Amino acid sequence: MTRIRRLGAAVALAVTVVWAGSGCTVIPVSGPYTVNDQGAGDPLSKPFHRMIAIKPQPNWGVDETMRGLQAAMAAYADDPSILLSYLTPEARAKWSAAGPVTVVEDAIDVVPPPPREATDPVLKVWLKGKYVARIDEDDTYTPTGGSWGQPFDLVKAPQGGFLVKSLPPGLVLTRADVRRAYRPTNLYYLNRSLQDRLVVDRVRLRLKTTESFAQTVLERLLKPPTATLKDAVTSSLPEGTTIESIRSGEGGERVVVNLSGPLDLSSRDALRAQIKYSLNMNDVAKGRTIEIQANGEPYTTALANTDETWLDDSGKTAYYVTKGAIHYLSKDGPGGVVAGAAGEQRDGYSDFAVSKEENGNSLVAAKTSTGISVAAMVPQGRWQEVIHGKGADFTAPTWHRDGSLWTYDRKNSVLLRYDPSSGRGAEPVEAPNLAGLDVTRLRIARDGVRVMVMTGRNTVQISALTGEGPQMKLGNLRALTTTNEADKIIDVKWGDEEHLLVLVQSQAGHILTEINVGDGESTGVPLTERLQSVAALGDRVLAETDKGAKLLELNQDRQTWTPKIDSDGGAPLFPLG
Amino acid sequence: MPPTRKKRSRRRTLRQILGGVRRRIRRAAGRTRSIWRRSLHLQVVTSTLVISVIVVVVLGTFLFQQINNSVVQSSQQSSSGEATADRLRIADALAPETDDPAKAADGGDKGAADPLDDVMDTITGSRDDASEKRYEVLVLNLTNPGKSRASNSVEPANVPVGLRLSLQRNIREYKYDKTVGFIQSIRLAGESQPQLRFVVGGIVHVLPTGENYEVYHFFPFNEEEELLTNVRLAIVVVGLGLVLLLAAIAYLVARQVVSPVRLAREAAERLAAGKLDERLKVRGEDDLARLANSFNEMAANLALKIHQLEELSQVQRQFVSDVSHELRTPLTTVRMAADLLYDAREDFDPMAARSAELMQAQLERFESMLTDLLEISRYDAGAATLDLDSVDVRDVVLRAIGDSEALAERHTTRFELRLPNEPCMAEIDNRRVERILRNLLFNAIEHGEGRDVVVTVGADRDAVAVAVRDHGIGLKAGEDTMVFDRFWRADPSRARTIGGTGLGLAISREDATLHGGWLQAWGQPGEGSQFRLTLPRVAGSDLKGSPLSLVPPEIEMRRTWRTAMTPVLLPASGDGAGFDGTAYDRAGYDED
Repeated sequence: MTRIRRLGAAVALAVTVVWAGSGCTVIPVSGPYTVNDQGAGDPLSKPFHRMIAIKPQPNWGVDETMRGLQAAMAAYADDPSILLSYLTPEARAKWSAAGPVTVVEDAIDVVPPPPREATDPVLKVWLKGKYVARIDEDDTYTPTGGSWGQPFDLVKAPQGGFLVKSLPPGLVLTRADVRRAYRPTNLYYLNRSLQDRLVVDRVRLRLKTTESFAQTVLERLLKPPTATLKDAVTSSLPEGTTIESIRSGEGGERVVVNLSGPLDLSSRDALRAQIKYSLNMNDVAKGRTIEIQANGEPYTTALANTDETWLDDSGKTAYYVTKGAIHYLSKDGPGGVVAGAAGEQRDGYSDFAVSKEENGNSLVAAKTSTGISVAAMVPQGRWQEVIHGKGADFTAPTWHRDGSLWTYDRKNSVLLRYDPSSGRGAEPVEAPNLAGLDVTRLRIARDGVRVMVMTGRNTVQISALTGEGPQMKLGNLRALTTTNEADKIIDVKWGDEEHLLVLVQSQAGHILTEINVGDGESTGVPLTERLQSVAALGDRVLAETDKGAKLLELNQDRQTWTPKIDSDGGAPLFPLG
Repeated sequence: MPPTRKKRSRRRTLRQILGGVRRRIRRAAGRTRSIWRRSLHLQVVTSTLVISVIVVVVLGTFLFQQINNSVVQSSQQSSSGEATADRLRIADALAPETDDPAKAADGGDKGAADPLDDVMDTITGSRDDASEKRYEVLVLNLTNPGKSRASNSVEPANVPVGLRLSLQRNIREYKYDKTVGFIQSIRLAGESQPQLRFVVGGIVHVLPTGENYEVYHFFPFNEEEELLTNVRLAIVVVGLGLVLLLAAIAYLVARQVVSPVRLAREAAERLAAGKLDERLKVRGEDDLARLANSFNEMAANLALKIHQLEELSQVQRQFVSDVSHELRTPLTTVRMAADLLYDAREDFDPMAARSAELMQAQLERFESMLTDLLEISRYDAGAATLDLDSVDVRDVVLRAIGDSEALAERHTTRFELRLPNEPCMAEIDNRRVERILRNLLFNAIEHGEGRDVVVTVGADRDAVAVAVRDHGIGLKAGEDTMVFDRFWRADPSRARTIGGTGLGLAISREDATLHGGWLQAWGQPGEGSQFRLTLPRVAGSDLKGSPLSLVPPEIEMRRTWRTAMTPVLLPASGDGAGFDGTAYDRAGYDED
């Protein structure tokens, strides 16, 4: 009994000490326990800052007034009233902000009138700078160059300072203004002919203070694509669709998009893909489940981190060509020759192109002296000439993702399309934009819509395959880049659906540039050796060094190269592109 | 004039309504006060509730203020720290590049990009490698165009006016290091409702150019507000729970204490009502158990004493009864002898004749005293019974007056009769009622000082009443009840003139009580007195009132005239007016 009592007293004392100790502790030591993830900020918006314009001050001179006017143009979308306060009533009535936005370099010069005109009632002041780009009304960002200058008429304001009496229509922004208030944005539409893959459309969208960036993106997605993709793509968001609301829920883990309008049940997957990619690829709602509602009712849900096939390039096998024989390129180096005739060494075959993989098999096309031949990469595969003519008259063959082979007959100025499944020969495709042009290269992108057209030896243009079926034609031709006269473009290949790799031989050496076909933004890739040809698939870039001795692969840092084959390498190849 | 009348009528109605409301409130307050005074339980629980509410409110307020200060101050400190860091960044960025060759080299590849944009990229998290910030920033330079920036949707109009003015004053006074804070609900563009924000305003002064940048930081305080709202809710809920818990505890504790006290009270009441065998249950050994023990002992002792007193009283009554009976036999003999002597007194010498007359008179008095003693013994023994008969009370009154006329003539007193025309039938014992009336009339004659004696008979549906009014010296205060005590006399030195025994009014009251009636007295010195006998028409039924007023109507009327504020004549009835606690001056009065 005494022992039990002592034991009880000891337990009571221990409990009291523990209780008192934990009671005195502000944050008791504890764990492990499951912690609920809190949403990392607003998944629908992007932080940004913007210009705050101020009204013209009575003590300002011409220079301050013109800079204030330009700042007011930068803030015009947020607060139009400030810009109007710089204008005389007459100018207010005439001037309109509509039209393309002119983008100039940050260093703008205000050129006042000569001293002898300084006493005139109307002062003509010039804004001068370097032309950078133009943002069209369809949000296309088109880089331009050259010098820029516009005249402005100023009059003295009754209360002091100056007012603008006349000015050119449209807004003038500096590069910094655009960088501050605009975001390069990828919109995704469906390729028109197959509707099995998304096509990216690059635009510059202005951030708005009154709505989230997600709303801005989706509002733009409801509109038609830019002029470069006109008639080349379609959208699963039918005309008349409106966005009722976009909100994030469940601690930011879920984003709910409520649409209204004549939504089609059959295009549910495509609509989901368009919205998901248009948001996620612009770092909006990334890693979140996107629930799409139609008129408040659940329509479809895009789960986070699911890999859908809407950007699938259909084949990631890398090849290289040595002495006319096509070899596989494995992870560690040479992977052996391909099966069939394509794997045999053969002279006179050049400009190889591999088609999209179908059931693990691909076709390879090559230019010969008598035309263009095709072979299947199977044991029984034999070369078969499908387009006849003088090989030098054709551009290098290129495969479309629908399985057709394309080339441009420079002699007859006709674009040819050969469909192996049709059983017919090569058929001409209408390409009115190419008439009269010296087409030297033509490559169809992996999205099946965009087409790179190289004219002459140093100009790259982008066009698109518009229409479908028999009405398909090559249109929407637009200049992308050009080099100095003395330079020469050695090779051009598609990287991913929006980037072109352009290998230029200049007097200073070889230059490899990655160009975004949407807005012309280019990124240089440093080279350690002279290259002869390149091939790319997404982030993976292979290059053949001069003389074909080595095969290099660009590392993930996009700065250094790793040799894959040290000797007896050759021109690298990826399916399509 | 009709409108005036209408107005008056409305005013009267309003007054009546107000009066009604006031009366109801007063009645409710009275009821509440009564419940409050009577219930110890309620007092304990209410007091505990009130005190605990006060304590909880005071402690809760103090606690909330402490938490509030801690949360808000720590948030303000961290916020102003971030704001200071940002201002330093801005100042560093805006400083001329020549001051910092390293920065000049850095900025070379950015071309002519505004350093303000670069630093705003970092501050707002707009840059790809920067982290998103929880607050908004506004940089204002009102002198240089294109040098003002704002993050996200914040606008210059969102800055509190007071803060703006304070900052501009600091600029005028060259106090560039002074930072000003402001907490205000602000609605930014795109927000559906205002949010509580802590706005910190500071100045970045660029020395070489002399430019001043007003830098405002908008820190959201909604999380702190939510936290403090939850804390406040928790304190309120816990406080409420605590108060209710304390009330419940007080209820239980009070119940433990009050219940035995209540049982003791009920037992004491029953004991007081005559249930001498009432006892409390004793549980345990605590104070309440000891109280119960003491109560039980007290009750037992009380019962014993009462029993002893009853026995003693019984013995005394028996003794009186026995003595009365025993005295009657020798008295009869003495009476017979005295009668003989009295009859033969004319043959005696004058002294002996006078002695015989005196003896005869005292013997008569002795005899009637014995009769009264025997009668009252019967009452004490509970042996008195009624011989009920339905009679007209007027006849009884007339008979009693007839019996008293001889005495009245001797005192030169006249009777004034006020009898109703209708018969006043009642079930009464004729003999006893007549005796009561006789006693009252004899009393009135003796103390009426020769003035008129007014005899009034009244009747209503339930009762009949007879009032005998004299205009003698009256009764003093308190004597109106003492007159019915046995052998009581107002002035002991005063001799009895009509040879009363001192038991007349006591027997009369017993007679009235035996009928289920009342016998009450009223008197004032110099105003005379009035005795009122009230009897139920049906024997055994309870009396609810008397048809006649105890206070004579003329006295009541005079009093009303003298004291009333409003000239309203009150009815002269007012049963029990002499028993409502009003102090009357009463002259000394003794029974017959």
